[in-house]
Amino acid sequence: MPLISVVLGRLSQAFLLLIAMSLIGFIGVHSVGNPVFNVVNIETATPEDIHAATIALGLDQPIWRQYLAFIGNVVSGNFGTSYIYHLPAFELVMSKLPATLELASIAMLIAAPLGTGLGLLAGRRSGTLFDRTMVKASVSALSIPSFWLAMMLILVGAILTGWFPSGGRGLTASFLGQEWSFLTGNGLWHMVLPALALAIPNIALIARLSRSGTIEVENLDFTRFCRAKGLSSRRILLRHTLPNISVPIVTIIGLQFGGMLAFAVVVETIFSWPGVGKLLIDSIQLLDRPVVMATLTFIAVAFVALNALVDLFYAVLDPRVRLSS
Amino acid sequence: MTVEHVTAPLLRVQNLGLRHVSGSATTPILSDVSFELGRGEILGIIGESGAGKSTVGNAILGLLSPEFQQTSGTIEFNGKAIDGMTADERQTLRGRRISAIFQDHTASLDPLMSVGAQVEETCLTLDSSLSKREARARAIDLLARVGIPEPERRYRNYPHQFSGGQRQRVVIAIALAGSPDIIIADEPTSALDATVQKQVLELLKILVDETGVSIILVTHDMGVISEITNRVLVMRKGQVVEADRTATILDQPRHDYTKKLLAAVPRLRIPTRTVKAEDDGGQAGSSAIDGDQNPLLVAEGLSKQFAPQGFAWGIGRGKPRFGLRDVGIRLPRGSITGIVGESGSGKTTFGRILAGLDTAPTGRITIGEHAFNVSRSGRRSGLLGRVQMIFQDPSVSLNPRMTIGETLDESIRFGGRTGSSKEPADLAAMMDRLGLPRSLLARHPHQLSGGQKQRVCIARALLARPEIIVADEPTSALDVSVQAEIVGLLKDTIAERAMTMVFISHDLAIVQAMCSSVFIFKDGRIEDFGPTEFIFSRSDNPYTRALINARPQRFTC
Repeated sequence: MPLISVVLGRLSQAFLLLIAMSLIGFIGVHSVGNPVFNVVNIETATPEDIHAATIALGLDQPIWRQYLAFIGNVVSGNFGTSYIYHLPAFELVMSKLPATLELASIAMLIAAPLGTGLGLLAGRRSGTLFDRTMVKASVSALSIPSFWLAMMLILVGAILTGWFPSGGRGLTASFLGQEWSFLTGNGLWHMVLPALALAIPNIALIARLSRSGTIEVENLDFTRFCRAKGLSSRRILLRHTLPNISVPIVTIIGLQFGGMLAFAVVVETIFSWPGVGKLLIDSIQLLDRPVVMATLTFIAVAFVALNALVDLFYAVLDPRVRLSS
Repeated sequence: MTVEHVTAPLLRVQNLGLRHVSGSATTPILSDVSFELGRGEILGIIGESGAGKSTVGNAILGLLSPEFQQTSGTIEFNGKAIDGMTADERQTLRGRRISAIFQDHTASLDPLMSVGAQVEETCLTLDSSLSKREARARAIDLLARVGIPEPERRYRNYPHQFSGGQRQRVVIAIALAGSPDIIIADEPTSALDATVQKQVLELLKILVDETGVSIILVTHDMGVISEITNRVLVMRKGQVVEADRTATILDQPRHDYTKKLLAAVPRLRIPTRTVKAEDDGGQAGSSAIDGDQNPLLVAEGLSKQFAPQGFAWGIGRGKPRFGLRDVGIRLPRGSITGIVGESGSGKTTFGRILAGLDTAPTGRITIGEHAFNVSRSGRRSGLLGRVQMIFQDPSVSLNPRMTIGETLDESIRFGGRTGSSKEPADLAAMMDRLGLPRSLLARHPHQLSGGQKQRVCIARALLARPEIIVADEPTSALDVSVQAEIVGLLKDTIAERAMTMVFISHDLAIVQAMCSSVFIFKDGRIEDFGPTEFIFSRSDNPYTRALINARPQRFTC
């Protein structure tokens, strides 16, 4: 029965997290300003119009009543209707999700193997020219701001060479009722630069982690014993060192992936990639509370799910963590 | 020897010299090391830390890190020089011709791979003609040969599911996988308990008889040397000081250093068992201790259990393990009481609770008239300071950023507040008594030798003027020659001051030399106890007998 208690514990934690998040988000948006002025046309609206709109949006109620109404709606699966787009807020978020999901996935598919591989090689040969170059390059990659990196990529990859388009999703194909860019050649082509912009800092981060892990593991007795028993360095690196360094790497992959789903707003904006991050920022600026709350809820759920996946991976990877059957 | 190898020896090391280069500093590590190893021979290399004995093993394996440079000599295997080979050529030798066993069985195996897979991958690497199924069969066969019970079932288990001795057996199985000619065993039993050590040594001996493999056994322990080696190389500061047959070295050592090493090995005396044992058996011991109507310290009913560190949210948390179960002792005033046990027996936990460094949910400690609540931290209950502790490893129990003077001064000031004695502490006299030059006061711990550091730890404990001292394995991190000095010093200073001490150790001989009564711990319980003479001569407890019998025969008399 421990599995059930683990799952229950996890769910109750997620529930508390959602409550806290919704309170903070709700009060935050409320204190920024009155969304009514973004809903009505300021130039032409009469005080009566504004009053009517306020009542229509339920903004005349005290904040706690608004919050309770919101919670009540959420429980019945309704995040409300966007003040601006007049579409159900949750559907709006879901419609932006494919773009974000495919971009983040491709970026991580580039970053995870490349970062881990570079880190393994650098750690294996610590102190060599390759290692020192890798360390310096990763420091720069981590410290340059993402907007600058994105603009440089556009400058080099799109303007100077003309190899890649500078923005937009390109052609999309329909799959599972949503539009995806990665299913068309043209869409993939459009994805290269934004995915690189997201991947490069992650490559650096993962490579740093993997390098320090490799150095640590290579100093342990069992890798020395593996050499003594005649294994090749390649096999030691891939079969023994890699699994032993992967716990922190997978943790950071999970966190960074969640971050890309939610907060890739700079890259999404620069490359005009209509994703969730961009939607969130636009909605905050327009005080479109239902959309903000729907997005935040989605992000929180995504983080909880990713963390659960990461924990599951620990258990698969490490026999010491596995449930004793 | 010449009679034994008519043909060329299996391994010949001639005039080997090595140095360590880091930056501009070069340190000589080995100079002029020469020896030969015959087929089926067990050669022991003994020496204290820094003697370069492990470096010899690594040089033969080709596992030296690049900072080591060979300055002279050759290493010949089967008449062929191997020290000049490329890294790839060396790799093909490793496992197939020359393999290794390391000291730390916990660290020698990949924790994330099943034990069977680790043996199997070695078989596959070393013999590429094997199919996966054949490799598996061979791995199971190897596990059975080193004495792993039910190898088919244990095959899928992971290293943490094995005991220390079994893990070391798996390591031996892996070392055997390529049917090597030589196994370099670097302190193969130093991390094991005495009873297990004996079994592993016996296994190595059987394997030599069965397969004709040769073993180079690197160790600091004369006991291990005396048990299984044919010949011994005594090393000191990178040089071979003496080499001969084991019996000759043990009986007629020529070099002073060898004599010193031998003299320093604590010997266990087992008085002949008297017939009288019949009438006052097991209870004689307990009554002797209970008979002391005025003990200084009484500990009663101490229990503590550890919940194994599980994974987050309870995943993987197993059943709680008992650290201590209802343990109670009485310490007579002015005596040294020994606590003996193997790893995991709870002896260290017990010592820490006595010193107020750890808490126990149940139980009581009384010193004189004063009762202490052991479920509260030592600082709150007032136990801390009344009992001082001397720890195992002096290199990590002194603050590296404080000078020796500052450390001792702290102890004097702290002792002035909590200590029992009203007389002022005399730093200078203490330094003189412990043989510490006053010039050390201005130094930092890293500038001292291991023995000096442990003397400072003794001084630190004594200067706080405690009522009781708990010494937890105070000599096991030290070289043998230093061990004897420290044991003697500790015993004398305690006796001079008529202090009370608890001496925790896994080494029966040292306990016998120091203590007036002994408690034997096993799995968090007191398994046997009584006056030292009784325990060593007449105790009928099977576990006590097993511990005594696990001692190398050579050093028991």
